[in-house]
Amino acid sequence: MKNYSKLTPEGVRDVLFDQCRAHREAQRRLASLFARRGYREVVTPGLEYYDVFSLPGAAIPQQDMYKSTDSAGRLLVFRPDSTLPIARMAAARLQNHQRPLRLYYCQSVYRAWPALWGRSHESAQMGVELLGARGLRADLEVIGAGAEALRAVTGDFRIELGHAGLFRLLAGRLDISPERREELRATIETKNYGALGELLDPLGDSPEVRAIRRLPRLFGGEEALAEAESWDLQGSAAEALAYLRKLYTALQGLGLGSRLMVDLGLVQRNDYYTGVVFSGYVQDQGGPVLTGGRYDRLCGQFGPDMPAAGFALDMDAAAELVEAQLPAEAPPEWLVHGEPGWEAQAQGELLRLTAQGKTCQASVWETREEALAYARAAGIPQVLWVGEATEAILAGGGEE
Amino acid sequence: MKPLRIALTKGRLESSAAKLMEGAGLDCSALRQKGRRLILPIGDSLEAVLAKAGDVITYLEQGVCDLGVVGKDVIMERGGRFFEILDLGFGKCGFALAAPAGADFYQGYQGKTVATKYPNVAKRFFQSKDMDVRIIKIEGSVELAPLLGLADGIVDLVETGETLRENGLAVVEPVAEVSARLIVNAASLKLRKREIEDLAAKLEEQIHT
Repeated sequence: MKNYSKLTPEGVRDVLFDQCRAHREAQRRLASLFARRGYREVVTPGLEYYDVFSLPGAAIPQQDMYKSTDSAGRLLVFRPDSTLPIARMAAARLQNHQRPLRLYYCQSVYRAWPALWGRSHESAQMGVELLGARGLRADLEVIGAGAEALRAVTGDFRIELGHAGLFRLLAGRLDISPERREELRATIETKNYGALGELLDPLGDSPEVRAIRRLPRLFGGEEALAEAESWDLQGSAAEALAYLRKLYTALQGLGLGSRLMVDLGLVQRNDYYTGVVFSGYVQDQGGPVLTGGRYDRLCGQFGPDMPAAGFALDMDAAAELVEAQLPAEAPPEWLVHGEPGWEAQAQGELLRLTAQGKTCQASVWETREEALAYARAAGIPQVLWVGEATEAILAGGGEE
Repeated sequence: MKPLRIALTKGRLESSAAKLMEGAGLDCSALRQKGRRLILPIGDSLEAVLAKAGDVITYLEQGVCDLGVVGKDVIMERGGRFFEILDLGFGKCGFALAAPAGADFYQGYQGKTVATKYPNVAKRFFQSKDMDVRIIKIEGSVELAPLLGLADGIVDLVETGETLRENGLAVVEPVAEVSARLIVNAASLKLRKREIEDLAAKLEEQIHT
């Protein structure tokens, strides 16, 4: 049998030194940001029942999930998403809690992507969920927190707004089968203008057909909203559009300026989103690093109905951005070497120095010569000899 | 601003793409005399890399290339998350289901076996017909499989049908039309919308002339 003891499985990796520092720093910045906005941290289990992720309208494709079974043979999955477990948790544990619930999380999600695509199968995410609130104030809070989260890790980002209801409402007025509607949605999602045209041509001409034909091209600045408004849509589609305009104007007031964009063709698959949806982009990442939106019907699948919105930020991408900003890690300031018989006293000296905020390593060498050679090789500037007399020297040589 | 980077599928699609870009007024001389260079400037605002078809999608998804030119056949087989913004009109052919001439592929209750280089395309095609078919992946000349009795039919790219005829096979049913597509990674389209839309518009105009 082949032995895999020296390898990691596909899509996962070891994280070392500066990458760890960058991850911790990015986590620290976001945790402090979320806490200051009144969100409280929760952790959901790494393993959940399969059923949590196979609800109608909110299902994650089963081939995308890592699965296992429990001792009774029930199907388990490695958490592929944090929003569904949090909705489950809120229904089970926070029923009588003061609304709205402001929750944040920092945990990994697992996805079984096809082999050798270079995607991470384990990705660290941080995000917030605001449960039990709807309306402009709630959406502004969640999107505002998302923009702040991006700003905490980079100066160069874009936030993009869309509305899950717009396509659904327009397509709902067309006389087409659910399969054909899904085809339409998929071509809009991939901005496949050609295929979309072919699907729409047989449907004749109507305001809805004209609108859907333009949807994937309507992204960018205010002009995209303005064009959609010129269609003079009626009913709920018009309301969705008017709401998006209101939100867009409000967010402009937050000083997002040209960082704020709209994409009326933002129609995600696996759609538990019901209202506004948004994505965040940064340089050198092929896809969005932040995704979120309003999901008012999800909590009802687990318990009482409750409007909700939230987002998740890809922390591997965030850490990459932060790593570039971190100063290089300095070597420790001191090497503390205990002479034979003075080992415990050396540990005492080390405690004293670290208590003063100094960084120190304990010497593990037998002789002064070895300890000094090590300090020089490791770039440690000062050495403390602990023995009959305690003596500090510069590792470069010479007395301090 | 760094130039937009476009990954071209090596070979026929690459030269057709170069012709199209030249027609649209872009300077493709470096692409014509590439020597051993792997990254080739096209004018000031664009640079090309040459890659195998599947790699075009990989480079794009990983965010190291902004745009790509790749056949719809590869997109259908490999899938992925990107935008497919333009049908470039060249590299036209089609996927088809073929079987020995004269045989009725759909007849009988026995499970059918189909040989193909494109198992995902074949799988989806038969799923859409609610047919449970055994699919075997073949790397080389797929036409051989029915001749040897390994498969009842094949799903393959068909251009003229000549190879099929020579091997006593005939098209049972077309599966999908294929041509070269301009694809773009999601973040690039959002972050560099104007440049990418300008380029796509120039190419589209050229396609229609």
